[in-house]
Formats: sequence, C-alpha cells, structure tokens
Amino acid sequence: MFIYHGRAPGSRQNSECRGSISSSQTLPLVRTPGRRVARGALISTFLVLFLCQASFLVLNIPQVSHREGFMSDSNTDPRPGKGTVYVRTEICKGCSFCIDFCPTDCLSFSKEFNPKGYHFPILSAPDACTGCDLCGLYCPDFAIYGERWKDIDERKGKGPPVAPAQPVAPPAAKSAWGTPIPADPKGVLTGLHFIDGDHAACEGALAAGCRFVAGYPITPSTEIVERFASRIPTVGGVFIQMEDELASSIAVQGAAWGGKKTLSVTSGPGFSLMMEHIGLAVMTETPGVWVDVQRGGPSTGLPTLPAQSDMMQARWGSHGDYEIIALVPNSPQECFDLMIKAFNLSEIYRCPVMFMMDEVVGHMVERVDIPPADRLQVVPRKFTTKAKHEYRAFATTADDLVPEMTKAGEGYRIHVTGLTHDERGYPAMNTPTQDKLVRRLINKIKNNADKLVDIQEDYIDDAEIIVVSYGITSRIAKSAVDDARQRGLKVGHLRLRIVWPFPAARIRELCSKAKVFIMPELNMGQMVIELERAASDGVKVISIPHAGGSVHEPEAILKKIIEAAS
Amino acid sequence: MSTPNTAENLLRDIDSVNPVMPYLRQERIPHIWCPSCGIGTTVNCFTRALTESGMDLDQIAVVSGIGCTGRVAGYMNLDSFHTTHGRAIPFATGLKLANPKLKVVVYSGDGDLTAIGGNHFMHAARRNMDLMIVCVNNFTYGMTGGQVAPTTPLGAKQTTMPFGNYEQPFNLPFLADACGAVYVARWTVFHVRQLAKAMQEGLKKKGFVFIEALSPCPTLYSRRNKRGDGIDELKNYKQNSIVKHGADTKEVGLTFDGKIVVGKFVDRERPTWLDAMNDHFTQTLGTKYTTYGG
Repeated sequence: MFIYHGRAPGSRQNSECRGSISSSQTLPLVRTPGRRVARGALISTFLVLFLCQASFLVLNIPQVSHREGFMSDSNTDPRPGKGTVYVRTEICKGCSFCIDFCPTDCLSFSKEFNPKGYHFPILSAPDACTGCDLCGLYCPDFAIYGERWKDIDERKGKGPPVAPAQPVAPPAAKSAWGTPIPADPKGVLTGLHFIDGDHAACEGALAAGCRFVAGYPITPSTEIVERFASRIPTVGGVFIQMEDELASSIAVQGAAWGGKKTLSVTSGPGFSLMMEHIGLAVMTETPGVWVDVQRGGPSTGLPTLPAQSDMMQARWGSHGDYEIIALVPNSPQECFDLMIKAFNLSEIYRCPVMFMMDEVVGHMVERVDIPPADRLQVVPRKFTTKAKHEYRAFATTADDLVPEMTKAGEGYRIHVTGLTHDERGYPAMNTPTQDKLVRRLINKIKNNADKLVDIQEDYIDDAEIIVVSYGITSRIAKSAVDDARQRGLKVGHLRLRIVWPFPAARIRELCSKAKVFIMPELNMGQMVIELERAASDGVKVISIPHAGGSVHEPEAILKKIIEAAS
Repeated sequence: MSTPNTAENLLRDIDSVNPVMPYLRQERIPHIWCPSCGIGTTVNCFTRALTESGMDLDQIAVVSGIGCTGRVAGYMNLDSFHTTHGRAIPFATGLKLANPKLKVVVYSGDGDLTAIGGNHFMHAARRNMDLMIVCVNNFTYGMTGGQVAPTTPLGAKQTTMPFGNYEQPFNLPFLADACGAVYVARWTVFHVRQLAKAMQEGLKKKGFVFIEALSPCPTLYSRRNKRGDGIDELKNYKQNSIVKHGADTKEVGLTFDGKIVVGKFVDRERPTWLDAMNDHFTQTLGTKYTTYGG
C-alpha cells in the first residue's frame, strides 16, 4: 500500500478531538445497521433513478457521516452544530485544505489511513460545524462537502425528486444517412462562369454546404479565402482570417463540433503547420475539407510556382498511423465538382479530406458550369437520433465503422479528445483501446477502398504502355498520349482523381496486359512509389520527376513513351 | 417541454451527493491531479459559479488544451473538448462562431495558454471573441515534470532552469488588458469565494474574459523550490495577497516571494467579434445581409 510521505499528515492530526469521536462512528454509511441502512437504500434508489436518467454513472459511495451521537446545547434539535459534513474517504488525498481553512476548526485528520494511504478529515468538533461547505469549496479532490441542517430539512421537505429531463424527441431525419439531398440553393451560384480554380473551389465548397471557413493568406491559395470573405456573408456563414494556420486548422474543427461543414485552406509552409491538426481531426473523427494549393518547396521554395510535392505529406504528414482521403482536380471545373465530392466523403467517413490543388490549377481561368442546386447532391451529416442516455459518441458496429456524430449544445454532454479514447470518448491509454481505435480509424477507409476509386481511363483496352498521372500533370500527359496514339503506339492514360487511397487493385488488374507504367509528376517521385508497390513483378515502372516551378513539357513524356515502346 | 438541465434541477433532492458531483463525469473520479494540487479547487469554484449563474448546462462547453489543467475538460460533465497543445482558444473560437448560443469556456494552464498558445491568446483578446478564459497558473509545466514556464518567477528552480530562472516572466493580467480583454481578474485558490464570484461574473460577461487563478503545484514547483506543500502555498497566498480592485495591471507582476495583488482589475464594454461583424455587414450590405446567429 502506498503511504503518503510528502508531509506526514499524521503530524497535524488533532489528538484531542473536541467532539470525542469513536471509530465506530466513522464507519461508512453503508455498514451502519438499522434505519440508516434503509435510508441509505432509499437514497441509492433515488440516486439510481435520477442519475441514470441524467446520464451519470452512479457509484456506490461509501460515506462517513457524523450526524448521530452528538447533542447540541442550544436547542431541542438533537443534531449537533448547525450542519454537517460528508466525506468520501477513499478519494481523499490528505491535502488538509479543509482542515486548515475550516472557519470553525471543526475538522481534523483521522488516525486511520484510507486505501490509498492518506489520512482523511473527520468531524472532530461537530458542535462547531455550521455546514458552510467552505471545506467543499476548498477540497481539490471532491471528497468532502458540508451542508446546513436547515438546508437539508428544506430540501427534504420538497418531496421526492423531480422527474429528470426527458430526452428531447429527436428531430426528424432529413434523409437516411449517406443518402444525398439536393444542395441548399443559397450557396449555389448557378450559371456559366469564367473563373480560376481557386474561385471555383470556393464555389464548390459553398454549394456543398460549407458555412464556416477559417484561413490564413498564403500564395497561391489566397484567392480562395478572399472569395470566401466576400461571398459567405450573404450565404449565411462565417469566414474568419485567423492568426496563423495552426489556429485556422483547429478553428474549423471547433466549428465542425458546433455543427457546421467547414473548410480550411493553405499552401506550402502553411500545410506543414496544419499537420498536427490533421491528426486531431483523424483521431476525433471530425469531418472537414483541407485545401492545399501546392507550390514548390522545401520551405518557402517557390511561392508563386507549381508543384505536386505535398502528395506524401498529405498521406503521412501527421504523426501516428492513419488512412486519409485525398482528391486531385485538374481544372477549375473539377475544383467545383470534386470539392462537393470531397465534402460528401468527409461526411460519409467522418474524416478530414485533403483537396490537393496546385498553383497552375488554382490560377488557371476556364469556363466553370455551376448547375442548379437541385442537380447537386450533398451528403448531410450523420447526426445521431439516439436518446441521450443511449448515445456513445465513438461507438460503432461491425457493419458500420463510422460513429454517429452530434454537436455541442444538444445535451449529449460529449467528450472529445485527441488522446486514445474509448467509445464514450473518455481517455483510455492502454494497448487494447489503442489497438481497437487505430484499427477502426484505418479500416473505415481501407475496407471501403473499392468505393473510393475515382479514376479516368483513356485508350486503356489495348494499352501496353500506361501513363499514370494526376492534377495539372494529367493534362500534359493526356496530350502526350494523344500524340503517341497518332503515331500508332499502344498507349493508354490513367488519371487519378482520388489519389488516396491509392487504387492499387485497379493497377494490379492492368498489370495483366500492360508492360510499362510511366508516371510523370511535379515532384521527385512520390506517387510513383505507390505505383511501384501496386505493380506486379515484371511490369516496368518509369518515373518522370520534375522539381517544380513549371509543368512538364509534353515532349518529355512523349520521349519516354517512345523509349518504352521501342 | 422538458425540464431544463439547470444546476438547481440537477441538485434538488439528491441527498448525500456532493454538489460538485453533478458537474463531473463521476465515473472518471478520482482524478489524476497530485495531492494538494489546486486545480480541483478551481473546478469547485467553477461549479459554484455555474450553479449561481442558473445557466442551462447543455448550452455550456468547456475547451481545454494540454497539460494538467487541460484535463479539466475531461472531468466536466458538459460538452467538453480536449484539444491540442496551445490551441484551445482557436478551437473555442470556431465552436463559438458556429453556435453563438453556446457559452464557451476555455479552461487551461499558463503554459498552454500563454507559451505555445500565446499568439492565439493575444488575438482572441484583440478580437474580443466571446470566450471566458480560466487560466490556472501554477508557474510551471506540471504534466511534463516541472520545466520553466513563461510565468515562472525569476530565481525559481525548474528542471530546464536548474540554477534558477533568469527569464522575465509574463504579467498575465497586463497582457490580457493590453490585448483588449473586457474582464480581467486574478485570484488564488485560497480566495475560493472570490474566484467563484469572478467566474460567475465571467459567465455573464459578453466578450473576452480572462481569469487567472494562482494555484500550487506542490510536486514540481513548491517542493522543488523549498516552498513546502500545497497547503503552505495556500497559507502564503493568504498572508501575502493584497486585494486591489481596479489596480493598474502594469503593477501586478508576480515575484518569487513578493506580494500578490489580487482582485478584479478590468471590467469594461467593447463589441464582441460577432457583434462587430453583424453590425458592420448590416451597415455595409443592407438588405442583402441577414444577421448571423449560428
């Protein structure tokens, strides 16, 4: 047994207790015979009835009461003093705050130790106790509290406990979870537009129902926050320019738990600053879309010039094990279309979704066709309709690994933490809980990888050489492949619109007829590593790296195709 | 119409239950805090303030960062969020703006709020974001084992200042005041009734409220600096505190063994960020703008 040696509480023990208390009187309530047992049982019944419905776990609290056995001199009330104290001896840590600051000096240390090895307070001068509860206010361990007799009598005179609040009838679900509904017309700027990818991404988010954006200006993503700042006031949302990316990437998570669909936007160094909060969003299963308009790096690198060099960072950038979803548009139109898809996926899987643009796609001005709201399908949040006492914020089933969500202010009294947590959301830092949680976070995406394949294939049927690309590079790759086809080469093109999870199964299928994969990308070879992992032995994988700053020349890709064909 | 979950309704007729208990996730008690740590005492004061305020507890959210005080959120039976180190304030900002009906309380430590989270603290005060900040200042990094904090007084020994601290510490009320907080108060865990009252006022106040609660860290600050135990720190607070309401916050800096000025230093009015946004857009956008309310 651990005995507290920090400062021997026994040394402060009052050996001449003014109330001459005997040890039998300090026994816990539950052990005391006679009517006190009956009373205790009644209290327990009330507690169970009341507290269970109020979502409290009832502990069978051993109490030390000092109500009996003392006579008051002043009146006919047989009870001593003006009040009494209750002590939960087993959780006391012997700090002596209550004893030292009791205004009437009615408490002293026990001779006994509690199970943790601490002396606990006893009411040694019950006649002096006023029930003022200053001890309760001081007690840092919530182990002691006092109450005036008159308050006790008054409280009891009120009759049986009031019925606890009934669970509020759940609001009628707008639709079954996962079933898309038409977009809110308020956020949809229907019509033909001639805008760049940054502006189109903003319109896509508004159409998807995004109503809270926190950002910090950084080239080349700044136009997105600028457009939100001017558009969102009339759409019924909030934009706030935070003090940095650390703040913006967590403000969106606060807003998500306030019930909003949210977006955070950045580039280059800002994306590095956001990494910790991607992990928090993964761990707390907080939906939201994270836009990275990629620019050349490392560090400040090329602020105004393109790259695709954050692809692995998007997948692996935060510490710990997790799976992620990442989409890559290659045109302003796709910045709109795929943005809606990104929001839908983040709601379906309750995870952060990366939206990996690049400087060229962000600043390229093209025609963008925004359809009427009723032709856009958005997935509403999976809000729980469970009663408050049944809801466990992170509980799932074998068939559905995505927990139902709620928001603050609904009375569910949720706890959300980045610590390893159990189904209630409570910290539980042990191996089994960690194993269960991390596996579920990974499997909710990994097990659905086949549903998360979004690729565009051209000339694949007879292709012996397949160029695999994504984002802005896919547009150059497509032109090189068109050129090679005109030269009679059996070349196909596979474009990734969702890069994470990587469509490894489809790549393996294609290995049955393809002999060579070629992968141009605006980095020194990132997604090609994944392509190599997926490709079978005997199928050659050729990387066409580029350090960023411009896009590939089509001739460079064509040259590799011709080399591979010969 | 259901009975609102006010503190009064929760407490009525529950015999033998500590009045603090309905506010706590009881299955998580006992807590992790050391013997004679003062954080639990500040929680008592907070629960008394909640009781006195009569507010609907379903509409109160507590946000914490990381550290010993960061664990408060996990013990409160309210909507509670335990976020990343230093980022409780921006998380709370998002939560408040998403649902302005919530009263959002940031409950965290001095290191979390003013070192790693110092930038967010300044900007939320500048914006007058409608948040109540409870900063439990124990002069050290407790959770990591007693390293120097931006509040560690000059001369105090910490594991990363083994020969005594030579860095000038923050004067937190002055910082909050200078950044634009509308309510600034400092109390110690000895001043439980005053601290509870300040929290009660803070809950009712609109705007950026900063309440500093000086608290002993017996394990890593007091004993290491031969200041005794938690109870000795409380006695020190009792002997050396000077109540000075309205004191110039420039003058309330703390030293290792000097006087401690406590009281309500600032109480003023200023439009909150959200009110300013709504007023401004109403003026500039006219009928195109509908007042944002969540």
